[in-house]
Amino acid sequence: MALTDAQRAQLGALADQLIPAGGGMPSASEAGVAGRYLDEVLTSLPDLKAPLETALAAVDGLEPEAALAVLRDDPAAWGVLTAVVPAGYFMNPAIREAIGYPGLERRPIDATAAPDYLADGLLDSVVARGPVYRPTPTD
Amino acid sequence: MEHDVLIVGAGPSGAITAKRLAEEGLRVLVLEQGDWPDYSKATVHREDFPLTAGRDWGWDPNLRQAPGDYPIDDADSDITALMWNGVGGGTVVYAAQWQRNMPSDFRVKTLDGIADDWPLTYEDLEPYYVRVERDFGISGLANDTAFPPGEGPPLPPVPLGPAGRRVAKAHNDLGWHWWPAPNAIATREYGRLHACQQVGTCLQACAYGAKGTADLTHWPRALELGVELRTRARVSELIVRPDGLVAGARYVDADGNEHEARAGVTVLAANGVGTPRLLLLSGDSPDGLANSSGMVGKRLMMHPFGTVVGVFDEDFRAWQGPWGQFIHSLEFYETDESRGFVRGAKWGLQPTGGPFSMTSAYPWGAENEIWGPGFQDAVRGRLGHSTMWGIIAEDLPEESNRVVLDRVNRDADGVPGAKIEYRLSENSRRLVEFHQARAKESLLAAGARDVVVAPFIRSTGWHLLGTTVMGTDPATSVVDAQGRCHDVPNLFVFDGSVWPTSAGMNPTATIAALALRFAEQLIESRREQKVAA
Repeated sequence: MALTDAQRAQLGALADQLIPAGGGMPSASEAGVAGRYLDEVLTSLPDLKAPLETALAAVDGLEPEAALAVLRDDPAAWGVLTAVVPAGYFMNPAIREAIGYPGLERRPIDATAAPDYLADGLLDSVVARGPVYRPTPTD
Repeated sequence: MEHDVLIVGAGPSGAITAKRLAEEGLRVLVLEQGDWPDYSKATVHREDFPLTAGRDWGWDPNLRQAPGDYPIDDADSDITALMWNGVGGGTVVYAAQWQRNMPSDFRVKTLDGIADDWPLTYEDLEPYYVRVERDFGISGLANDTAFPPGEGPPLPPVPLGPAGRRVAKAHNDLGWHWWPAPNAIATREYGRLHACQQVGTCLQACAYGAKGTADLTHWPRALELGVELRTRARVSELIVRPDGLVAGARYVDADGNEHEARAGVTVLAANGVGTPRLLLLSGDSPDGLANSSGMVGKRLMMHPFGTVVGVFDEDFRAWQGPWGQFIHSLEFYETDESRGFVRGAKWGLQPTGGPFSMTSAYPWGAENEIWGPGFQDAVRGRLGHSTMWGIIAEDLPEESNRVVLDRVNRDADGVPGAKIEYRLSENSRRLVEFHQARAKESLLAAGARDVVVAPFIRSTGWHLLGTTVMGTDPATSVVDAQGRCHDVPNLFVFDGSVWPTSAGMNPTATIAALALRFAEQLIESRREQKVAA
């Protein structure tokens, strides 16, 4: 079911064109985008596997830069590549930590707190300006 | 006859109507082609949610292809039609931006000399806004200066957040309107709703039961009151009697078996595409049912949509928040003909999402492509540091923008699908360009170091309006001010299809208030109401 080693190598080279190492962080392939995290992405969305294989087959044998230029002109192929690569990259916890992203957190609203815009007068000038709508015309 | 009223569609207008009629003791049957939402798929805390959400909570029926969906040919449309076919309807996946229309929206002809007036006013609808806002658990702040003063929603507004505060200050400097935004988001425990956790997934599904969606706010009570709801029941046509009354509907169940549902009165609540589709499928005339005016399916309005993103040095942690909207602005909502167009748009300030969203073609655009050297720094620069105005633009009614039947592409039961034909008008183009430019000024004034005007994309047709226009003249409209078809006295349309003009607002508040008003009118006139006995 999983991609072959050759397909993974091909994907890794393409992925590193999109996400090279930088900013003190690893490249896509170094972060596992063609390895462990590809498997996770395809487990979540198995329907991506076939179009990904189609995209890879279409540029088999091309150098990464040339392959990317071809894929860019194919919306379906470009769509699957630019879904799989960043998805795998950001699934890596070390990457999420490096960009300062903790994932979605519960941030309950303190409904008892006095609204800041009332306390500091932020809304005052809006109120002072008065109505900004056209009323219903009277016959 | 087993049922007094048959309702087609279990979205907000169907749910409101069913619950209200059942409160009066009427026997109500609702046919819904989709299922209940499956909130076990609202796995918002999983790292793969940005991937699976597109599949499990997607808006486009052509991509989703769920059992309750039907094909919509959009090849000849500048905008694709989006919807949720299931219990709760579009509220299941709406952004919960709860906007009343403004008084001028009901008087476009009188005030701006174009299109049509509604056969009712803001003041007629105001008491129903107040009631549906209680029913849906709306949060917000009363006495917004863009509306007549009056009772506001029951819950306090969502926090402005650091992004909302920063842009609000800028608008104060510019002298531009803003207000804490109204949302169908419970800011504390309220009835069956739980308090919002601000995880920012409103547009997919709320995992916490905090979003005011009809499956939560209306359906449990409607079922307690005895409403009979049949899901996976796909209506193929209305049953028309020789005397011209409608006797109910034929439908196909999940196993492909055909049934008839009979009732004294039939109400369509199947959205601006589904409702005209059903009328066009019904009756003996090639023009369909209730269509002596020729207006069924015409005047489709979908709201051209714009997005303008600001990137700031300040860290808003705005990958989440109420989504929803922090604040809204109606500064440029009213007509000013010196701008080169009529009518306007509402702006809602929103979060921008997690890291995956920072890489996407929308809203960032091809010229801001993030790939290649510098990727990581670019992600860090955008993530949490950005906020965006969503711009809902009013489109004017035009007969050439329309819904027709598609006899080639059919749904799983062989019923013809819908085809939409829609072109952006010059007025719409100018309107969107003007508003994008002003929104850019807003974010620059707020201190953005970079502002991105998102490219136009087609997949923004969340709002489906106008296709069975409401009016007093049977020659030019499909339904009257009670939602009753001029041609068929026991057939009603209670959804957004009846809008004479589209306003520039998220439409659910007005769809809901209208449905409640229609339901009350039906109750009041029940003694005189013609029924299919």
